[in-house]
Amino acid sequence: MAEPPENPLQRPLADGIVPEEVVARTENRWVIIMGTMLAVMMAVIVVTGVAGALHPSSNVEVIDPLTLHLGGEFAESNLGTAIEPDGSATVRLIGEQYDFVPHCVRVPANTPVKFRLTSADVVHGFLLPDTNVNTMVVPGFVAEVRTSFSGPGDYVMPCHEFCGLGHHAMWTRVSVLPKDQFAARGPLERTRCAKQ
Amino acid sequence: MAIDEPHHSAAHLPEHVAAPIGADEAARALRNGPVGALVVASIAVALLFIGWIAFYFLLFLPRGPVG
Repeated sequence: MAEPPENPLQRPLADGIVPEEVVARTENRWVIIMGTMLAVMMAVIVVTGVAGALHPSSNVEVIDPLTLHLGGEFAESNLGTAIEPDGSATVRLIGEQYDFVPHCVRVPANTPVKFRLTSADVVHGFLLPDTNVNTMVVPGFVAEVRTSFSGPGDYVMPCHEFCGLGHHAMWTRVSVLPKDQFAARGPLERTRCAKQ
Repeated sequence: MAIDEPHHSAAHLPEHVAAPIGADEAARALRNGPVGALVVASIAVALLFIGWIAFYFLLFLPRGPVG
């Protein structure tokens, strides 16, 4: 086998071709730049986290998935949106193959909304685009996330945890109404917006 | 090409690349360090940093806390 001709470009450069003081100065500056960037990012995370009380949703509550339908918080009559005495909204949903129940919920805009979810069968995922709401829905546990919607609109809620053959079709929506329009709805219309 | 023949890229051949420079020329070009490489690295890092800041302040924070 013939050896390829020698390539002068592959000739190693002599050691010390870049002056040592230049190497040291460049490395020092680079370390300072990297350190500053990391410090800024950490400071931003810590300051905004503390000031805005940002933290992952960390609710740990257990529930028996076999008896959800028999009564208690996740009985069918209790699902959907409920307005609390302080004016905030609580939305209770059950994830099951392959839908969230109820299929559509209404909530008022510019109001604190607490989503409480659980699963009746397998692990599902709950995600609201354009918000930071993103949680897993695990059978046996109650997931709780809080957010508020700044304006009216429809938000689709896809299941983002593969849950079986019908997973791709598992999505539902939150319909956000202006506060006055929400208050003007009848009790059942406020609770959910899926066609009965 | 025979299957047992080692592969060499086109750039391996001197006539396919720019004229090589000697050690003295290389030393002259590098007397202030590899400035071009530093500029490219700085632009890449700056874009990454600006992107992080933009995502954090323009996307993540406006979406609000969830806990």
